[in-house]
Amino acid sequence: MGSLITRLTAGLRLKIIIITSLLLTLPWFGYRFVLEMEKLLRQGQEQTLIGTARAIATALNERPALFSQQANFLPRVQQGRDLYVYDLPAAIQVDGHLDDWPSDMGAKMHYYGHPYVLFSQQVYPKGYTDFYLITARHQQEIYAALKVNDPHLVLRRTGSNRVDRNDHLTLALTTPEGKFERYLIALEASGLTSVWLISDNPDTQESFLPVTNVTASWQPSDTGYTLEIALPADLLGQQMAVAIHNVDHATKRDVESIIATANTKSADTLGPVLLPSPDIEQIVKGMGHSSSRIWVLDRHQRVLAQSGDIQHSNGVWATSIRYDEEEHGLGSWLEQYLLRPLYYTFLLSDPVPFDDQPANPAMIQGVHVDQALHGRGYAHWRPSSDGKAMILSAAYPIWLNDTVMGAVVVEESTQGVQTLKNRALEKLFNVLLAIILIAAIILFLFASSLSSRIRRLRDQAEQSIDAQGRIRDAIVSSSSRDEIGDLSRSLANMVSRLGQYNHYLENLSSRLSHELRTPVAVVRSSLDNLAMSQQHGEDEKRYIDRAQDGIRRLGTILSSMTEATRIEQSLQGADMERFAFNELVSGCMQGYQLAFRQHQFRVQIPESPVFIEGAPDFLAQLLDKLIANATEFSPVGPPIEVTLSQKNHLAVLTVSNQGPLLPQDMTDQLLHSMVSVRSQQHQAKPHLGLGLFIARLIAEYHAGQIAIRNRTDGQGVIVTITLPLSESAAKLS
Amino acid sequence: MKHIAIVEDETAIRENYIDVLKKHGYNVHGYADRQQAQAAFDVKLPDLAIIDIGLGHEIDGGFALCQSLRALSPTLPIIFLTARDSDFDTVCGLRMGADDYLTKDISLPHLMARIAALFRRSELLASPTTEDTLLYREELTIDQNKMQIFWRSEPVDLTVTEFWMVYALAKRPGHVRSRQDLMDDARVVVDDSTITSHVKRIRKKFMQCDPSFDQIHTVYGMGYRWGA
Repeated sequence: MGSLITRLTAGLRLKIIIITSLLLTLPWFGYRFVLEMEKLLRQGQEQTLIGTARAIATALNERPALFSQQANFLPRVQQGRDLYVYDLPAAIQVDGHLDDWPSDMGAKMHYYGHPYVLFSQQVYPKGYTDFYLITARHQQEIYAALKVNDPHLVLRRTGSNRVDRNDHLTLALTTPEGKFERYLIALEASGLTSVWLISDNPDTQESFLPVTNVTASWQPSDTGYTLEIALPADLLGQQMAVAIHNVDHATKRDVESIIATANTKSADTLGPVLLPSPDIEQIVKGMGHSSSRIWVLDRHQRVLAQSGDIQHSNGVWATSIRYDEEEHGLGSWLEQYLLRPLYYTFLLSDPVPFDDQPANPAMIQGVHVDQALHGRGYAHWRPSSDGKAMILSAAYPIWLNDTVMGAVVVEESTQGVQTLKNRALEKLFNVLLAIILIAAIILFLFASSLSSRIRRLRDQAEQSIDAQGRIRDAIVSSSSRDEIGDLSRSLANMVSRLGQYNHYLENLSSRLSHELRTPVAVVRSSLDNLAMSQQHGEDEKRYIDRAQDGIRRLGTILSSMTEATRIEQSLQGADMERFAFNELVSGCMQGYQLAFRQHQFRVQIPESPVFIEGAPDFLAQLLDKLIANATEFSPVGPPIEVTLSQKNHLAVLTVSNQGPLLPQDMTDQLLHSMVSVRSQQHQAKPHLGLGLFIARLIAEYHAGQIAIRNRTDGQGVIVTITLPLSESAAKLS
Repeated sequence: MKHIAIVEDETAIRENYIDVLKKHGYNVHGYADRQQAQAAFDVKLPDLAIIDIGLGHEIDGGFALCQSLRALSPTLPIIFLTARDSDFDTVCGLRMGADDYLTKDISLPHLMARIAALFRRSELLASPTTEDTLLYREELTIDQNKMQIFWRSEPVDLTVTEFWMVYALAKRPGHVRSRQDLMDDARVVVDDSTITSHVKRIRKKFMQCDPSFDQIHTVYGMGYRWGA
């Protein structure tokens, strides 16, 4: 494991993995790209939205009838005084209960408090009487709902002629013809109350005329009462006001205070009422299918018509591509249950549900509206009212004779683009993930194969030459055509050339001796001939003897020169047998003790048999060489130590003698042929430094090793031979 | 007068051998290559042939010559005298029917002794064996005159070198003869491993007669001995 880690950390594979990790930057680039794309999409959406706004505005251009004249020419709009008539989705039951109004009516109701007090007998206390009002329309009915805060309800006495001596309301309006009319709605005992037209004609006795086209109904509540009014739409022109007359003393029955949206005394003081134009509504509704929220505003930014819902207004973006089709198979399963959750946990965010309500539903404000009302189309991004999404609003002016009559505001959420972006990123991540995965695997495999090939080559190169520089195995040249194959072939070539050279060198001695043998034979036979002829003087005879002695030595040299080769040859034909090595060594040592009488031997050999597989003759020859070497170098006196031991499936034989040390750098070379460190004094006999070489040949033939080293005590030299034990013996031990 | 043929491409050596053999009273003819020798042998066979293996440009010309000679006469003594001393060549030469295989570093007196011994052996092969030249070592019988060795009365076909080695060993059974001793006895100058391989070959030849032959013992570190 450790070696694997070190191999990985230092190896080619890690480097390639690091380089591969550059691939990981691809998702970042992809992400940047998608963000850019999103920007483009948003710009596109802006343009599209402005286009939509323009199209709608174009449909509304130059149509004066669509806009209520008076309201449009008001210099400014006063909140509360100007009444806005909302659009109702359904008709209202006029019963005084407000529960059939839309749920958002609370936000749309306008509060009338202290600033709207028209008259008060005393200093008007804060929160004394106030009310909320909303006006709305459904088809041809206009409704008004009021929530009045009045702690003391004073109702009209049954049968009383007077209708204004109790809590009552006045509703003042101008008809479409411009006639000023006032109605009085008194609180009566029952929910449904009577409505009176107030006649301002002083001639008539009857100042209150009951009417039936306006209906009203009230219900008491915790703090006062609620009241609903319904009147036909064609009764109402462009102005209206509602006033609450509060009566507190059941006996005195004087009006204590009047609080009103506007003064109901005359037509001039009434507030303008803005009726959403049904015509505009019609036109916009036609546009309303463009999956955007559309507002049409008048000059005062008040909503004339509205269509669409922001929740579904994600433009055409999301609907243009169908993503939701279910696919089956492993890929889609992976994507759905593994990758997508992962992406959405760490990288992406899903569009969240959001809520967007304008602060004032009757009035749309913003830079874009201002710009549009100044005659310029404009689009801008704004957060939704709850801040969870971005909303794109585009506004475009509506023209009437070079005057801006209003504006069209079109809004879309960015959810479509966001969805699109998310999908694109998902796809991108999927593809990149696959690419990176595949590339990483391929590169890893590639690196592994490269490194394993290089490692194999290295191992081969290391094994091809042994410690003595001999060629052990040829390198198997690779057949692949890349650089590593080239390298392998070069190495194989190199090793084989080196092998040939080594072979040449190793055979040099035998060939040399062979070549020399013939001239030596010439000299020898000539000398012998000379010696045989009798007529020689003493001197000549002596010279001939010397020459013959020399030629004999030369012959010895020549035959020992071929010895190594001969040993190699005969080793190949040697029969391996299993025998007790310790017996062989002890037998030999007895012989040496006889042969080298002037030397002492100290022998340590185990009693128990040490079985090895080999050729005993050759091993004895090996021992001969070692002992001959040792006796040559050892001084007379100190013993030559021979030990045999058994260590883990190996037989270890050491021959140690005192004597001159080896030069440090020569130890391994001594095992080569014709290398000798003998000094002149040891050169009595011809010597070619073949002894240790032959010993090495024999040891290696037995799959063993030989090493020659200086002794650790620095007194001499030790030769160590390790031979593998015979397999059966190894098993036994 | 004995007629000896020397086939040797090296003129100096050939002349030297011819000279010394003539001095010893042999009728000697020298041939420089195989063709000449072959032509002469086709006409008349010599009493003994000394052949070099490498003849001129023919690397193994001597072997071919030996084979054709052996085909002409099964008894003609043949000696290989060559510079080649590899085991392979020795075995080859002896297998081809040569009576001895000598390397060129043999001295002339030794060579003369060999030749004389060979002649004696071929002459005495026909003559009756006299008891006093026989040496008995249990199942081994050595005829010194004929240079023949019998194991359980069966002749063992040994070369002259091998004969001398067995003779040296069996003369004093139980005594260890070192390799150097054996070299001297066989009158050859060879290295230790050549002696080892000679001994191996001798053992094999005996074992052809008697697979249980076990009389030549290796005394590791010293040499060989005959018998227990």
